[in-house]
Amino acid sequence: MNIRRFVILCVDDEPTSLFVRSRVLEKAGYEVVPAKSATEALEMLQSHAVDLVLTDLLMPGLSGADLAREVKAQKPSLPVVLFSGVNEMPPEGSHADLFLSKLEGPALLCEKVAEVLHRFKKAAVTS
Amino acid sequence: MSINGWNPSVEHGAPASSNEKVNILLVDDQPAKLLSYEVILGDLGENLIKAASGTEALEHLLKKDIAVVLADVSMPGIDGFELADMIREHPRFQKTAILFISAIYLSDADRIKGYQRGAVDYISVPVIPEVLRAKVSVFAELHRKRRQLEALNRELEQRVAERTEQLKERADLLDLASEAIMVRDMNGVIRFWNSGAEALYGWRREDVVGQDLHTVLSTKFPVPFSDIESTLFKAGRWDGNLQQHTRDGREITVACRKAFKSGKAGSPGVILEIIRDITANIRAEEALRNAEKLAAMGRVAGIIAHEINNPLEAILNIFHLLRDHSSLDDEAMEYARMGEKELVRVAHIVKHTLSFYRESKQPIPVSIAEVLDNVVELQSRNIQMQGISLDKRYVQDAMVQGFPGELRQVFMNLIVNAIQAMPDGGRLRISVREHVASETKTNWVSISVCDTGSGIKADDAQQLFEPFFTTKSTKGTGLGLWISKGIVQKYDGSIRFRTIRQSGGCATCFRVLLPGHTSTKKLHEASAWSSVSS
Repeated sequence: MNIRRFVILCVDDEPTSLFVRSRVLEKAGYEVVPAKSATEALEMLQSHAVDLVLTDLLMPGLSGADLAREVKAQKPSLPVVLFSGVNEMPPEGSHADLFLSKLEGPALLCEKVAEVLHRFKKAAVTS
Repeated sequence: MSINGWNPSVEHGAPASSNEKVNILLVDDQPAKLLSYEVILGDLGENLIKAASGTEALEHLLKKDIAVVLADVSMPGIDGFELADMIREHPRFQKTAILFISAIYLSDADRIKGYQRGAVDYISVPVIPEVLRAKVSVFAELHRKRRQLEALNRELEQRVAERTEQLKERADLLDLASEAIMVRDMNGVIRFWNSGAEALYGWRREDVVGQDLHTVLSTKFPVPFSDIESTLFKAGRWDGNLQQHTRDGREITVACRKAFKSGKAGSPGVILEIIRDITANIRAEEALRNAEKLAAMGRVAGIIAHEINNPLEAILNIFHLLRDHSSLDDEAMEYARMGEKELVRVAHIVKHTLSFYRESKQPIPVSIAEVLDNVVELQSRNIQMQGISLDKRYVQDAMVQGFPGELRQVFMNLIVNAIQAMPDGGRLRISVREHVASETKTNWVSISVCDTGSGIKADDAQQLFEPFFTTKSTKGTGLGLWISKGIVQKYDGSIRFRTIRQSGGCATCFRVLLPGHTSTKKLHEASAWSSVSS
């Protein structure tokens, strides 16, 4: 039924992390648009059709939480997943739709991303 | 007491001064005689009071303090002897001097009669002025001295009463003092022991007075005792901390102030010791230092966890990508799987230990069930190995506003204690209930952790929440319950426990009560959050 694959905008300031996480998501069947900063991610959003934003929390310049707020201001229906090395969602991360610990591992990451996408697509269809 | 050497005006300010005039009562029915006495005695400089009859004389006596009565023996109405009788009957005048003047010859028998009545002396007519003056003067002086003596006695009594009261007040104050106050002599023998000392050490005054102070208390000095003594004699005082033992064998640390009071005129003097129990303060200071150390450790752990998490995630992903990679042969594939498995363990440990300490700035809604499950999962190996059966009874949606790390720490301590109390198996029951306090309409979450382990001894119950109290000898830090209580109190909650002993064994139950989280905004957040993550 899906003609095209879901596109995930993947944001992280660490190149290795960004590279392997993108490969993992691709292996799970997603198309990945990588971005090295929140600013770059906001530019990408202008030129790419994206289904979900997966962003690191702690980054130089705009943080993942800032990015989530900005994305929600521009496109409220675009889901944002905050991804971090810390175990607890910081209060400023409340704009994101989901908070995930990096230590949950790739399997859970893919599972949760799928869940959020499913929830948002269903909401888009019914509304 | 001797009057000699006593100078009232200078030293005591007595009301009766040495030159105060005294009253001399002259009694005679003949005005001419009264006049002549007046002239003779005028030089004495005393007050002369004249009475024309015995009756009038009595009136004066009642009104005034009379030093000497000079009375004619033969008077119409009340004569001199009758007057003397009447004067002596009154207790106030028992000692009043009476001088009889008699115009008639008095036999020795008459004189004796007069002395028996209390007369002091006789003067025969014709009166020789010098003799009269000399006699009256002696009695006036005697009276004056007596009055001064009485005044002095009164004053002394007053001073004794005041001093006694002062001393009593001071002794009462010493007893009121919460400090232990002791006085010992130069041989170390206890002379005084206040009620503060009774309360601190447990010995009654009568038990220890007369005994050697530092033997009784088995005092340990921080420096050689001879150093303390030499400081004490040189500077008059010494301050320092001592280790001592109470009657029931407890070792206590006390702040001690010693003061040396030298004795008068070569007597050896005494040493005053004022003692304050600082055992609790020292423990609290140590606890604080340790808490600070823990907090610092926590911050370091948080930083390390975060720094490790980033590369760890990358490696987890790399192994994930290696899995099923077409270019790997079976052996390489097996290594990759093993590597991934071990890595997942590392990630698990980091997530559940180091990250505990991560402090968020704002409290967030925390699911109690999640926190408990988390702890149980970490402890599952121990639960299994010790053959403990686990019984969970949760209301799933109980939320508390707080910091997950702190709450995890509270329940980690309780659950670990419960598991360690059952080395040979038993039942661990964890229950979560919610209830609303009817008066305040506030929502409470009650969490119970119950075990069928060794139980808590009544002796230990008192100190259970004190820092560094542990029943696990070297295994425990003695900080767990103390920290847990501190956290629970910070949440305005409470923590209680009870042990029930039955024939079959013990059941120990810790119950934590925390204010529930109810705000609608937070509930919304919580539901949005749990629906995807659970």
